[in-house]
Amino acid sequence: MEDVAEFIVDKAREMGAEYAEARLQIDLRESIVMKNGVLEASAFEESRGLSVRVLVDGALGFASINSFRRNDADKALKHALRTAKSTSRLIRQKISMGKGELGRGKVNVKPRVSFGSVDLESRVDLLKDADEQSIQAALASGVKAPSRMITLDTWITEKMVLTSDGANVHSITPRAALFAFITVFHPQKGPTQRYFNLGETGGWEVVERWNLPKTFYDETYALSRILIEAVEPPRGEMDVVLGPEVVGIVSHESCGHPSEADRILGREAAQAGETFLKPDSIGLRVGSSYVNVVDDPTLKGSFGFYLYDDEGVKARRRVLIKEGVVNEFLHNRETASVFGVESNGSSRSVAYNREPIVRMANTFFLPGDYTEEEIFEDVKNGLYIKNFMEWNIDDRRFNQRYVGLEAYKIEGGEPKNLVKNPVLEITTIGLWSSVDAASKKLEFQAAYCGKGDPMQGIPVWTGGPHIRLRKVRIGGA
Amino acid sequence: MRLNEIPSYIVDLAKRLGATDVAVKLTEAQRIMIRFSNNEVTVSKSFLENSVDVFVMIENHRAATAISTLSTRNIRKTVENLIKTAKSTPPADVYAPLPQGPFTYNPELMKAPKIPLDPDNLAFYVESSVKSALEKGAKRAAGTLNAYRSKITLATSGEVYASQEKAGIEISVRAFVSDLATGHAVSVASKLEDFHPEEAGRMAGEIAKAASNPKPGEPGKYMALLGPMVFADIVNQVGSLSSAFLVDAGQSFLVDKIGSEVASKKFTLIDDPTLVGSPGARAFDDEGVPTKRNVIIENGVLKTYLHNSITAKKFGVETTGNAGIIVPYPWNLTVESGSKSPEDLLAEIDDGIYVTNDWYLRYQNYRTGDFSTIPRDGMFRVKNGEIVESIRELRISDNMLRILRNIVDLSRLRAWVRWWEVEIPTLAPYALISELNFTKSAM
Repeated sequence: MEDVAEFIVDKAREMGAEYAEARLQIDLRESIVMKNGVLEASAFEESRGLSVRVLVDGALGFASINSFRRNDADKALKHALRTAKSTSRLIRQKISMGKGELGRGKVNVKPRVSFGSVDLESRVDLLKDADEQSIQAALASGVKAPSRMITLDTWITEKMVLTSDGANVHSITPRAALFAFITVFHPQKGPTQRYFNLGETGGWEVVERWNLPKTFYDETYALSRILIEAVEPPRGEMDVVLGPEVVGIVSHESCGHPSEADRILGREAAQAGETFLKPDSIGLRVGSSYVNVVDDPTLKGSFGFYLYDDEGVKARRRVLIKEGVVNEFLHNRETASVFGVESNGSSRSVAYNREPIVRMANTFFLPGDYTEEEIFEDVKNGLYIKNFMEWNIDDRRFNQRYVGLEAYKIEGGEPKNLVKNPVLEITTIGLWSSVDAASKKLEFQAAYCGKGDPMQGIPVWTGGPHIRLRKVRIGGA
Repeated sequence: MRLNEIPSYIVDLAKRLGATDVAVKLTEAQRIMIRFSNNEVTVSKSFLENSVDVFVMIENHRAATAISTLSTRNIRKTVENLIKTAKSTPPADVYAPLPQGPFTYNPELMKAPKIPLDPDNLAFYVESSVKSALEKGAKRAAGTLNAYRSKITLATSGEVYASQEKAGIEISVRAFVSDLATGHAVSVASKLEDFHPEEAGRMAGEIAKAASNPKPGEPGKYMALLGPMVFADIVNQVGSLSSAFLVDAGQSFLVDKIGSEVASKKFTLIDDPTLVGSPGARAFDDEGVPTKRNVIIENGVLKTYLHNSITAKKFGVETTGNAGIIVPYPWNLTVESGSKSPEDLLAEIDDGIYVTNDWYLRYQNYRTGDFSTIPRDGMFRVKNGEIVESIRELRISDNMLRILRNIVDLSRLRAWVRWWEVEIPTLAPYALISELNFTKSAM
């Protein structure tokens, strides 16, 4: 890999590029899809190719090709140079690559149990067992689980990033991910649905740790109870406790995305949108002093794990909101240059044929001092939203909606009856400003974050503890 | 081995190794994308791809792979692994042999006009689109220009060997008068003469200008006019969730609805890949079956799901020519037009809302169709048939089936839509919807 990467970067410089970056990437993936207990198909794939990025006259050119051969690399390079030159006249503010702690070396995440040691039959048996547990959990609750979809993916990403100014990073990262979609049904109550993702960096040991049969039983049992027992939710102003799954999505959508420096500059304006934050928003209060949200790619085992980003910059924890105040944005080298700061290692690409852009990794609300019991105990009449299905947020990341799935009335300091689909429709500052407590225990969920054009669904974790919101309106305005 | 020999080579090899059915799709593609924001180009991208997808069955044992390294040695090794994988894959519930050809295809659908991928020309289109937006009062414009040429060569064990060319050029442009006053438009074409980047820029600029100084909207149920971009998003949902695979998985509000009235009589939705020169035109599906015009919903009645041969066998019907080897999907959605102009439809609103674009559509429940999506770009309050002010901060929170049943009328004018939010090319009219539910954030 390295010789081809060096060839690209050297030749790009010879041909007049101010900056050049080569990335060679191989993704080896195995997938199985099970629908209603039947294996639809098994699949494996080797996605192998290279990309090159160049800066020419302040214009950025990117090209990819699914080959490691030198003559193909040369072809891609010529395309990147040509398109960059053609568009340079449409650029007033020349693009440049800002500073960052450039890495040299290898990052090899070693699985404890290799994917190769687990045959297809064992994988299928595991999913069948999980699927059967889903059916049993529904039956035990007096309902049916007529539709179940499960996909299990394991893959290993090998990547080499080389830049003309000295980064040289080789990494090997195994990941496992599971997606589940479950429908439970009762003739009088109709259908209720839930989907969830599990995902971590590591080998087969992470799949074993998920204990899928128990997870599917518990998830389907909880879903069945919602179908049977949930009553209309209260409406109006009340105290609300959000569970870690909801806190995770809120942290991702209402802190992580608004903090992406490329959005702040308008680079995603026609696609993923912009943000209510401005370049001078560092220091702006957006929440109560209990709000601390970070993004950290360095969490071992996390779904969004990496130690060097796709520009070769060393990754570190980014403190996005500190005690309710905007503290830091997510930067790649391009945005860092505009802001006059160092890149904090947020440049990611999902495949060899995708441009590295500013991304989150693992975004979460930092734990507080409360036990779970303490979070609930002085809520007299309120609501606990444990997880959700529907959510969305406007393209400035300010006006959002989370519709609870598993949710309970809180009475006398304790979660009591299940309620059906409570709606939290609130502004970002309204939500963060109403936080008055966070519990000690942190939990994470896996997700794929969508951004870029072409779209890049990138592995992330979202997470947090339980948090308490005082006097927010349930049911919208 | 030459590229066009690879599909037949793999079919023969896989059959020799024990496959009962084989489908091989070679894709040769070249694409150039220019992205821009703040009236400037941010990046230009070139994608050069030659890749092969292989699907094998040993009766009802199925396996699939994608090969990106196209050396004979690697192809051979990968196909051997694929056969081994298929043998160890547990049987699926049905076995439907790949459809037996040879088939006859419409030659007009197999050829594509030449779309030049010269970056100098493409940059000129970007420049002219931005200029048009600014001339209409926008302060800045952002978007994507996308131009591509590709060729698919398909070989199957059902005596299929055919090639399909594709080409297209598209621009998506969003204009900003201020952070809160924006407009979005697209031009989607498979022939250069149908490509109108200036018009897209102009429309985006006009909507942004009209959206200036927006006031907070009030939640409630309104008669609403949905522009083609919003309605295309809704129609994409209906088309995608008519896939028999998703119906079988319970991920569709169309489950058990064949023969039922799922929409207003005014609404007829067709998946029509046979429209020569349209963005999603296609001669054959991934099983080699000639594509056809499938009426999904006719005058409000759900007529069919979209099938490949496997889902068709499971449902006891014929394939609709929409394979997708595992998941059937629509190629090219078209909504039958109405008889009125968009202005006539607007004039029918006594007290309502006109929405030009939306994004971020998410379901609470796919089976019931409960969902919400967020209007973005110009949204306007309409009274007595006229736009009276620009509004913001509302969300459409409703149900897919209710919206389809509440279609009052559709416009004669239709536009092709495809952009970041709308994946399947869709020819959509303006739609007048009664009782559309809008909600709003508190605090």
